Amino acid sequence: MINFFIKRINLLVIFFLAIQIFIYFYNQRPLSENFSQKNITVENFSSIVLSKSGITKIGSEKLNKIDEDNIYLEGNSYLENKEYKIYGENIFIKLKEEISNSNEPVKVINSMGVLKSEGFKNLDNEGIIIFKGEVEFLID
Amino acid sequence: MVFTLFFFSTSYSDSYVKASDTLIWDSENRKYTANGDVEFKNDKFIAYSDKMIANYIEENNEEIFTVVELFENVVIEFKDETFKGNHAIYTKDDNIIILTGDVSIESPTRLLTGYELIADIDNNKRILNSADKDSLVEVLLENDSNN
Repeated sequence: MINFFIKRINLLVIFFLAIQIFIYFYNQRPLSENFSQKNITVENFSSIVLSKSGITKIGSEKLNKIDEDNIYLEGNSYLENKEYKIYGENIFIKLKEEISNSNEPVKVINSMGVLKSEGFKNLDNEGIIIFKGEVEFLID
Repeated sequence: MVFTLFFFSTSYSDSYVKASDTLIWDSENRKYTANGDVEFKNDKFIAYSDKMIANYIEENNEEIFTVVELFENVVIEFKDETFKGNHAIYTKDDNIIILTGDVSIESPTRLLTGYELIADIDNNKRILNSADKDSLVEVLLENDSNN
């Protein structure tokens, strides 16, 4: 009789342990499917981005977050850091690669002067900016 | 009158770089590379070429070109002289331009050709070498204190 109760108690303990283990592993599962990012649009936006080259301030009439790594600055936009100020329109930013580019006219101010071009590609982590098309760089 | 002065002051600059294709600013290596119908002007001369690489330094939070290298179809206009060549290198420290490859100097009174031209702007001196190193032509110009 006692053995019967002991077996029952053991079964109950095993059952509750199984439930605990199930609850534990269920809570460990990632919940990304419930929080997948949707496109976000913000108007008159400005923010600060930290990258290898330091702090860059960005702003635009309309910011469109395409996904986790891609931002589209729509309308009049700017990028500013300790080395340059870039004023342009419709600028794409790849956050992970630290690349920004635009095919619209752009004006850049740095410590040497004022530069105007028909577009640009900024490889920020390499310290290289490629200005496209007709370029005019007036040196102070 | 005020408007005219304002317009003139904003549209004119002592120094500039213009290009028709690209201008690449490499801030890590401190240089600018211009491609396509390049036009470079400083307070000494105006230069044209297919490509230009200009190195700079930073002094007192300002960037200053120290060495300017020009490639292909190089034309440099300095006062009433025109220098032509395939390659040119200008160093700001000594204000010397060295042109190589089918070099010519053209002025209102003469045309000289050779392989290498060393133009010392501060001392108003031109040295023109031919391709054959044994022959040397040196042209001395009258000193001009306005240089």
